[in-house]
Amino acid sequence: MSTELRRYLGHPGLAVGTAILVLLVMITLVAGWIAPHSPLKTDMANTLAPMSTSHWLGTDQFGRDVLSRIIMGTRVSIQVAFAVVALSLSAGTIVGALAGFAGGWTERITVIIIDILLAFPGFLLALALVAARGSSLESVIVGVSIAFTPRVAAVMRSVVLTIKPRPFIEASRAIGLTELRILLRHVIPNAMPPVIVIATVSAATAILAEAGLSFLGLGVQPPTPTWGNIISDGNPLITTNPWISLSAGFCIALAVIAFNLLGDGLRDTLDPRMRQQTGARML
Amino acid sequence: MLRHLGRCFVHLAVAVAGIVTVAFFLMRAIPGDPAAYMLGDYATADALARLRGQLGLDRSVLEQYALFVARAVRGDLGSSVVTGQAALTEILDSLPASAALAVLGLLIAILIGVPLGIASAVRQGTWLDVAIMLAALAGISFPVFWLGLAAILILSHGLDLFPALGSSGSEDLLTRLHHLALPALVLGFSVSAYIARLTRSAMLEVLGQDYVRVARAMGIPERRILYKLALRNALIPILAVIGVTFAWSLGNAILIEVVFSRPGLGSTLLKAILARDYQLVQAGVLILATAVVVTNTVLDVVYGVIDPRLRSG
Repeated sequence: MSTELRRYLGHPGLAVGTAILVLLVMITLVAGWIAPHSPLKTDMANTLAPMSTSHWLGTDQFGRDVLSRIIMGTRVSIQVAFAVVALSLSAGTIVGALAGFAGGWTERITVIIIDILLAFPGFLLALALVAARGSSLESVIVGVSIAFTPRVAAVMRSVVLTIKPRPFIEASRAIGLTELRILLRHVIPNAMPPVIVIATVSAATAILAEAGLSFLGLGVQPPTPTWGNIISDGNPLITTNPWISLSAGFCIALAVIAFNLLGDGLRDTLDPRMRQQTGARML
Repeated sequence: MLRHLGRCFVHLAVAVAGIVTVAFFLMRAIPGDPAAYMLGDYATADALARLRGQLGLDRSVLEQYALFVARAVRGDLGSSVVTGQAALTEILDSLPASAALAVLGLLIAILIGVPLGIASAVRQGTWLDVAIMLAALAGISFPVFWLGLAAILILSHGLDLFPALGSSGSEDLLTRLHHLALPALVLGFSVSAYIARLTRSAMLEVLGQDYVRVARAMGIPERRILYKLALRNALIPILAVIGVTFAWSLGNAILIEVVFSRPGLGSTLLKAILARDYQLVQAGVLILATAVVVTNTVLDVVYGVIDPRLRSG
């Protein structure tokens, strides 16, 4: 086993976080096969059934199997997490790196724009964008990504600023590399570790944001199950059938914990200097 | 000090100008005709034309922007298409309930989070540290609206300690506080996890500094090092955390209000979104973001007072 891999597995948080995440991704891939019932099939003769061997988590007010709905809901959350990371990581990296590397007015104007976007509570910005674009998986992903991009860009820029004056950049210039090549081959790869940490934490926050939007009825629309709208469906039944909302909440927490453990662990192993940037869900 | 103040206010002015701009473009994010979007399928041609005229939709984007800014400066953020009231009035009317929730929640969060964060940093690596950090990890990972439901189930339904829903229209301050207590506790618990994590890392950062090592080498008692040196220097990052979490508390207050069926900005915004009353949404977002930058400016000024090094920064 390589030392890198051993160090990775030796970090309890990283190992546990990765294990949970692999499990969730696997569930996402085979959700259709492992769900015991159809998540959409209503059964009005069997509504609000208690936990039993045929319905492990009981049924909801339309007689739908809660466990199957939760399994299918994994899909939406994991999709949103990965899509938001992909979008905000690429957009934020490009904007932040260009601003930090170019300097001058480009940088100043970019910084002002980033600062302004950061003033908006992220959840609120996502909420307003989803309200304008209409509720769908795509608008949730776009809305949350737009809320995150300035955070990634801000980190990227500040890291690039520390790399720019280092001797190897000057050396690359001296041997005649073009600015674009220096940026792509030397600056961005060296700036990635802290940005990857932020991106991992963003995934955790994205799951919470999606759940919040779904809970308010503004996310992916019913009858498609999402963890957020399962909690919302269970909300009026919280005193009589608490397991509907509670179990969906546990799933959200499990996914968010996985990404947070991964983020904390990556911070410790990739970049020990960044320890002060603690914490997920800066939404 | 005056220069520091001046710089803070220039920042504030730029930020508010930016927020107004973003709020303007939010409306443009609506696909198609915003007027048709807001008035729905059964709008009369007359009403559509009137709203388009009011929004300036028949003019160029630049003119629309100028119109929007000119109105915003005068405090005119349009009006609700549902109630016909000025959007600003509607938002400001629902703001106090949310602000009370956010501020009380944040206070509870500071009271729980800061001591726990310090304890965990001072006892780094012990079971206490591990226990606090695991609890904090759980705290930042459960959705706040879910915590609200769990609290209703346990504290209100199970133990009957608090009323579950509503805000009570009662004039009696104690009754009102009683209704506010549970939502504020939930918000405070959720935010405290975040504050504890950041306080811990701020403290660890300071405790690792050379001057702390020197103080230890000089034989200064640990208690004195902690309170005189470390805590005072960790105060700035901790204050910064509180500034950041304020924005976040406001966002979460919206979700909590829905769980507890409390009136406030959250329910006003949600109603506006469902009714496609977008000028009201726009005004709400604008006011909340402005509240955040004003808070941050106040904190910036405070940093300058606490730490002279930051005045020149």
